[in-house]
Amino acid sequence: MTKSSTLQNSLMLAPLIGATTSWAAALGLWLMFIVVISAYGVGMWALRSRLVPTARLLASILLAATLTSCVQMAAQAWSLQWHQPVALYAGLIALQCVVLEYNGFFQSPRLDRVRLCAAFGALMLGLGLLRELLGKSGLHLATLVPGGFILLGLLIATRQAWARSKPSH
Amino acid sequence: MNRASSGVILVLLAGMGIGATYLAHHTSAPRIAAEQRLIDSRNLLDLLPAQSYDNQPLEQPLAVTNIPLANSTLLGGYMATRAGQPSAVLLRSQTLGYEGKIELMIAIDANGKLLGVKTLKQSETPGLGGKIADWPNAWLQVFIGKSRHDPGDTGWALKKDQGQFDQVAGATITSRAVISAIHDALRYFDEHRQPLIGSSAHD
Repeated sequence: MTKSSTLQNSLMLAPLIGATTSWAAALGLWLMFIVVISAYGVGMWALRSRLVPTARLLASILLAATLTSCVQMAAQAWSLQWHQPVALYAGLIALQCVVLEYNGFFQSPRLDRVRLCAAFGALMLGLGLLRELLGKSGLHLATLVPGGFILLGLLIATRQAWARSKPSH
Repeated sequence: MNRASSGVILVLLAGMGIGATYLAHHTSAPRIAAEQRLIDSRNLLDLLPAQSYDNQPLEQPLAVTNIPLANSTLLGGYMATRAGQPSAVLLRSQTLGYEGKIELMIAIDANGKLLGVKTLKQSETPGLGGKIADWPNAWLQVFIGKSRHDPGDTGWALKKDQGQFDQVAGATITSRAVISAIHDALRYFDEHRQPLIGSSAHD
């Protein structure tokens, strides 16, 4: 794991734990993420070749901040009640864009990009669904932040156990 | 690709960014504010049965501000009407719990019977006294239908204090504060029925 991908993953951890107390919140944040990242990708694709490297960082920040604020306001106008639980984490999408920009995410093949976004969405939705179901069935811990960490840990452990057992087949 | 053109693009981008954000804010602000008001009023009023009123109670405040009662303070009040007739009075009451101030919304119908109680603000111990903030709330539902004289003054207390109500487990002080505040509000309504809703008792 490279240093920058660690940074990218740890940045994703905040929305992954904070915005997955219910599957609706997780879906909302993921949709906002997809909209911003797509628009940002298109915008930077047009700008990248026209800017000197030092101006790229500024352009990237400006574009990410603009898109994130506009999408946030659109989400608020559309359904405030839905937006409120994820409001805190939606702002992080802008930071995520800038980090992905410097990670070479937008230079990677389209299939890889789609795969990463889909994996992020599946993880968000899965975790949200799991926490909501467990919380409703009486395990209150699952809806709290420590419960989110424990569940994420269990999911990662399951995946690694599965990956390890796979080559032996 | 040179520094000057990059600078121009950046300035343009910044201008467009500010413009787009301003426009988005300008077009969405009224809607967001309206929706916020709707959420607020729904949170404040969901203790009233939906068909029991047809006005906007929060826009019909009563002349009740900071009235000290025996165990609590009335911060404000609102009037709910149906077909022009007063159907309920909402009293915002503040009392002192175990950890700090507790703010309650207490709804009383025109006959002086309690319609519902909802906790608006509290800082009680989570898992113990903090349970009064749960909504819907089984413990607070016990008081529905009670009035100033039903039960009598001695009944308006915890079983521990020779009254007739159960307490929230592990939260005697919180429960005592809430019961006293509800009783205070019912007593205040009973004594000020005329100025509040302009009619005397029906029963």
